[in-house]
Amino acid sequence: MFLTSQRKRTRRGVTTATLLAATALVVSGCSSGSSTTSATASTSTITVFNGATGTIAENFNPFSPTFLQPTDGVIYEPLFYYNLASTAAPKPELGTTYKWNSDGTRLTITTRAGVKWTDGQPFTAADVAYTFNLIHKSPALNTSGLNATASTTGPNTVVLNFKTTSFTQEAQVLGNTAIIPEHIWSKITDPAKDINANPVGTGPYKLKTFTPESYSLTKNTDYWQAGEPQIDTVRYISLATADAAAGALLAGQVDWMSAFLPNLKQLVAGHPNITYVNTPALTTSLFTCSNTNLGCTGPQTDPAVRQAIYYAIDRTQLNKLAGGGYAVPASPTMLLPARDQAWIANPANVTAPQVANPSKATSILEAAGYTKGPDGIYQKNGQRVSLTVQVVAGYSDYISAISVMTSELKAVGIELKSTQLSYNAWNSNETMGKFQLTMDSIGLGASSNPNFTYQRYATANTTKVGEVAASTGNYARYSNPTVDAAVATAAATNDPAAQKAQYAIVQKEIVRDLPYIPIYVNSTLTEFNTTNAVGWPSNTNTYAFPASWKSWDNGIVLKALKPAK
Amino acid sequence: MRFYLQKVVFYVVAFWAALTLNFFIPRLMPGDPVDIMLSKLSAKGPVTPAARHAIELLLGTNTSQPIYSQYWEYLVKVFHGDLGVSVTYYPATVSSIIGQTLPWTISLIGLATIISFILGIGLGQLAGWKRGSWLDNLLPVTTMFQSIPYFWLALILVYLLSSRLSLFPLFGGYDINGAPPGLSFAFIRSALYYGTLPALTIVISSVGGWILGMRNMMVATLSEDYILTAEAKGLTSRRIMTTYAGRNAVLPSLSGFAISLGFVVAGSIVTEEVFSYPGIGSALLNAVQNNDYSLMQGIFLVITLSVLGANLLVDFLYAIIDPRTRARA
Repeated sequence: MFLTSQRKRTRRGVTTATLLAATALVVSGCSSGSSTTSATASTSTITVFNGATGTIAENFNPFSPTFLQPTDGVIYEPLFYYNLASTAAPKPELGTTYKWNSDGTRLTITTRAGVKWTDGQPFTAADVAYTFNLIHKSPALNTSGLNATASTTGPNTVVLNFKTTSFTQEAQVLGNTAIIPEHIWSKITDPAKDINANPVGTGPYKLKTFTPESYSLTKNTDYWQAGEPQIDTVRYISLATADAAAGALLAGQVDWMSAFLPNLKQLVAGHPNITYVNTPALTTSLFTCSNTNLGCTGPQTDPAVRQAIYYAIDRTQLNKLAGGGYAVPASPTMLLPARDQAWIANPANVTAPQVANPSKATSILEAAGYTKGPDGIYQKNGQRVSLTVQVVAGYSDYISAISVMTSELKAVGIELKSTQLSYNAWNSNETMGKFQLTMDSIGLGASSNPNFTYQRYATANTTKVGEVAASTGNYARYSNPTVDAAVATAAATNDPAAQKAQYAIVQKEIVRDLPYIPIYVNSTLTEFNTTNAVGWPSNTNTYAFPASWKSWDNGIVLKALKPAK
Repeated sequence: MRFYLQKVVFYVVAFWAALTLNFFIPRLMPGDPVDIMLSKLSAKGPVTPAARHAIELLLGTNTSQPIYSQYWEYLVKVFHGDLGVSVTYYPATVSSIIGQTLPWTISLIGLATIISFILGIGLGQLAGWKRGSWLDNLLPVTTMFQSIPYFWLALILVYLLSSRLSLFPLFGGYDINGAPPGLSFAFIRSALYYGTLPALTIVISSVGGWILGMRNMMVATLSEDYILTAEAKGLTSRRIMTTYAGRNAVLPSLSGFAISLGFVVAGSIVTEEVFSYPGIGSALLNAVQNNDYSLMQGIFLVITLSVLGANLLVDFLYAIIDPRTRARA
C-alpha cells in the first residue's frame, strides 16, 4: 500500500494529460518568456507542489495521520536522517550518536547541544525522552507499535529501554519520529486531535501564513546548522490534476514537484531552467493471492503458474510501452538492484529476465502437469489457466502494462483478463485478499534494510481471505515457515553479515515461490526549476530522496538549496 | 392555503427521504476510511502494521454499532447542525470545510449561471424576434459548444488562453502570492481575474440551451393573437418584443433557471478539477475518493437543500404567476 495515494494524486489526470503533453510541446517555445519569478534581489521564494489537491486543512501535528507533509522534516526534525536513495549511514540531525546494547533492548542516543526551538527555548534530551514516552503511553499516537520507555541520563543523553529485541525498530525510532518540545506539548490536552496551528519545532523553516488554498514557511534564522537554510520562503500550493501541475511547471509557477508526465523529455526540451531527476524506488509487481490454505482460489495458487508468468513477460517491451522508458530492472528478491545489491545473495537474482522466455514458461507448465487445451490455453484437471488481474481505473500506465502482458501471456498459453476498479474498491479487495492478481507496487521502508520488504512475506502480517491484512503487510497471503524463521532470526541481530545469511534463505524461497511477481522498478520523476533556487538533488548526487511528497527528505533538500544568482 | 400546505408536507417528506438515502448510499461503497487514511499516511513515509489500531482509536470508528442506532444518531446530529468530523481533512469539521469551500463555488458557478441565463434569454429573444436573420446562425454554433464534452472545452480554453496567450492564470481561485482572502480591493480584483476563465467556460458551454429554448418559445408566442393586437394598436416593435412576447416566452426558461440554480452546488466538480478551483466540488471528489462518509453526507445535504429549496421557490412562484397551477380540476 506504500505510496498508492500518491500515485492516485499524480496520475489521476494522466489520461487527459496526453492532451497537455501534446499541447505543452507546442507551448514550450511560446510560454518560456512568461515565467513569473517572485524572487527579487533581497528575498528568495520557491513554490512546491507536493501532491495536495483541493482545500488544505490546517494540521501541523506530527502524530496526526493527516498532518501536512512539511511537518515531518521541515518544521520538526528526526534524530537521524535515513537516505533511502542511497546506502549511506544515517546522518546525524537532532541526535549525534547512537548505540545498541548487545541484545537489542537498550538504545542510547546522544542528542545535539546548542539547538533551540523556534520559540527560543533550548532543546534537550528531555524533549526526546518526552516524545517517546508520550507515544508509548498513548495508543492513538502509537502508529509504529513502539514498545519502549525513555529516560534521560544526562542533559544530552537519552536511553530507550525496549521490552524485546528491537533492532528492527531502529529506523522507525531514529529516522521516522518527529521530536517535539515538552514545554509546549505537555500543555496540550489531547495530542491526538490537536491541529497544532502554531508549530514550534527545530527545523529549518517555521510556519508563516496559512490559508486553505496555500501556506508558506519562512526561514528559521536561529537554525542550528550555520549558514542554512538559504531560501527565505517556501510556499506550498494545491493543484487538482497532473495537467494543472505540468502547466504550472512549464509556466514557471512551480519550482519543485513530482509527477509522472508522459514525454517529459520533450516537454522540458525548450525550458533550459527545468530539469528532472528519476529515482526509481517502487517495484511494480503482480501481487498474487497465493495460498489455498488461507482461502485463495484460482490457477495462480500454483507456483508453476506464477513462475511461468515470471518468465513469459517481456520487461523491455513493458518498460517501453507502459513505463515510458523511465523504469529500471527489478529483482525477483524484491530489493532494489541499484541500491541493495549487497543484500542479494545470489548474483543470478539481482535482476529479473529482461526479455521473454516462452519456451521456459511452457516447459515449467508442462513439467507441472498442464496440457494445452483446444483453445491454446493450458489446463489441468479441467481448470484453464485463466487469471483476472485487478487494477485501479485511471492508472493508465498499469492498464497499458496489463494489455501488453495479456498478449505476451496468451502466446505461452495463459489467459489474462483485467478488471478496472475504483481506488477504494481495489484497495479494499487487496487488503481482504479478494483477488487473483492485483497490480500494485512494493514501496520504501523506513530504512534500506531488507527487513521492511520481507515483512510482506511473513505469516504474522497476513490473515485469511475475507479479513483485513496488516497495512503494507502480506497481501499475497504467503505463508512459509522457513521464511518466517529466517526473518525472525535476522531481526534478532544487528550484524549485517548474519542478517545477509538469513535473507539469503528468504530469497531462495521467494524467488522460487514468487508470491509477488516483479515487473520493473517504476520511475519516480521529480521536476525542478532552477530559476529561483539551485542545489537540487541530481542523478549523480542523490543526497536525499528528491520526491516533493517525501517527508524528512524535504527538509534535507530545502536546507541544501541556494538562491539562484 | 391548502395548496401551500400540501407543498410543504411534500417537501418535508422529500427532505426526509433524501436524508435517509444520504445516510445509506455512502455506506454501500466499497472500502473503509481507515484503510484509505493508512494509504494516505504511507505516502509520506513508511507505515507499520500497528498503525491500523492507532488510527481506529483516533477516528473512533465503531462499525460494530448497529446500523439503526447509527442512523438515529445521524438524524439527531443533522438537526443539531453537527455534521461530524471529516476523515479526509481530519481533524477539521465538515461544517468548516463546507464553510470554506461553498462561497467559492456559489460565487463562481452562481454568477456564471446567472450570466449565462441573462445572455441566453437576451440572445434567444432577439433570435426569435428576427427569425430567419443572421442571428439564427447562433443556434448551431452555441449548441455545438454545448455538445462538446465540458472538460475538453475547458482544457482547450486553458491551453489557448492561459498556456499560450497567458491572458488568464492557469489555476487557483486567487493570486496566492498577493493579498490574502478578505474584503480588500486587491483580493476581490484577483479573485475576479482568476474566476473569469472558469466562468467563461461555463457560460460558453451552457448558453446554447437557453438561447434555443427562448427562441422557440418566442416563435410560438409571436403567433398568439395578443401580439397581433399589440401590433394593430401600433405599439413599438421593441415594446412588443420585450413586454408582450418576451415576458410570456420566458416562463418555461425561468423554472429551468431556478432548478439550475439549485444544481449550482453539485454541478461544479469538473470545472473545479480543471481549474484547481478551491470550491465544494473538489471537496466532494476528495470525500468520495477517501470514503469520507461525514463529508459526503454534509455536501449531499447542502445539494439536497439547495435543489429542494429552488424547487419549492419555483412552485410558489408559479402559483403566483400562473393561477391555473393552483386551481383544482
